[in-house]
Amino acid sequence: MDLVAAYALGVLPAREHALVTAYILANPAARAEFEALRPTADLIGLSAEEPVDSARSARMKQRLMTTVRQQAASPVGATGSGRTAGARSSWFVGAGLAAAAAVLFALVSTIQNFSLRGELANANSRAAALQSQIAQNERVRTRDREMIADLTAPDAQRYPVPEGEVVKHGSHLYLTLHSLPPLPRGKVYQAWTIAKGTKNLAPSIVFTPSPAGAAIVALPENADTLSVVALSVEPEGGSKVPTSKATFVRPLS
Amino acid sequence: MERLRARDSVAFEHLYDAYHRLVFGIALRMLNDTTMAEDLTQSVFLKIWKSPDAFRDGNFGAWLARVTRNGALDVLRSRASRATAEIPSDIATEGSIDEIVFAKIDSQRVRSALAALPDEQRSPIEMGFFGGITHEEIARRTGIPLGTVKTRIRSGLRRLRGDLQSTVSR
Repeated sequence: MDLVAAYALGVLPAREHALVTAYILANPAARAEFEALRPTADLIGLSAEEPVDSARSARMKQRLMTTVRQQAASPVGATGSGRTAGARSSWFVGAGLAAAAAVLFALVSTIQNFSLRGELANANSRAAALQSQIAQNERVRTRDREMIADLTAPDAQRYPVPEGEVVKHGSHLYLTLHSLPPLPRGKVYQAWTIAKGTKNLAPSIVFTPSPAGAAIVALPENADTLSVVALSVEPEGGSKVPTSKATFVRPLS
Repeated sequence: MERLRARDSVAFEHLYDAYHRLVFGIALRMLNDTTMAEDLTQSVFLKIWKSPDAFRDGNFGAWLARVTRNGALDVLRSRASRATAEIPSDIATEGSIDEIVFAKIDSQRVRSALAALPDEQRSPIEMGFFGGITHEEIARRTGIPLGTVKTRIRSGLRRLRGDLQSTVSR
């Protein structure tokens, strides 16, 4: 249950995340503990609310609302922009300066606008990069969710091996292993497959388990086309043919 | 939220006024960089603007804090090859009893409840939440055995939950 609390707080390393997710989904007591602690963990963020200095607050708001109003494409945006331009304009007119001063002011304003536009472009560029990164991580999370759904599906087919099990759901195939022996330096585990109707061993994915010997690995092959899955220890980067005795060989039947 | 769904930018402005201190505060505390914190604040609010339906039930501030923390963790992941913690986004708790009970809790109550925790429990919880680091990294940095860190996180969260529940029932 300590791991469930760490999961609720979001401090589990990635390699344990999927295992604990599957545990919570499969175990009602763990699920209850998670549902008890997760809302509390979420509230911790509220303690970070801090005053923001007014200049920064206004700058952030202007930048955000400029984007939002453009996207909203509503009269509100036009009113907001007009108000800003109008304020500058009335300040200028109110000064009652001569035409020469107006030209000078326009020049300075133009230079400032270029500078502001540059800053805004930089900020928007950083925001776009951030959005892209967030989208990429969202894709990873979606893939993880799909994997967890496969692993916990009631109709998944499970093939036990001494170190865990091979799980087939639809065309997806996974190795969920929890007691793999430690790897020698410079070695990795490599999965192997034999396609139905053949006797050829084909190299598949390589991976390194957690220090505790746990790993969940999604094989890239279509599970419906395979008759056997095997595992062996190989040099880093993998091998074209096995170079060590198989850790296990599991027919998918 | 109804007004946001109707693309009401004035309603969105009010939402920003009410919550930007929270979002920027979390972002700054996690990223320790004002420019990146500003960028993340912008990104979080734009996400809400684009997907107002993402929030369903419970405490809006807590949900927003989670969205911000997830965004900050993404930044930390991309910024360095450090081991960052994983966020539990796979199992929804919306609609659970605590989600409803805690819906109106504010930042002051959370701050008070956190301050009331013993240091040995508060410290790993805050390091994990705001530092975006794993329990293993907390153990390494503090020199406390991993098992003890995990136990303290759990007992701290349970105590925090009890304290917050009692403030709600008062």
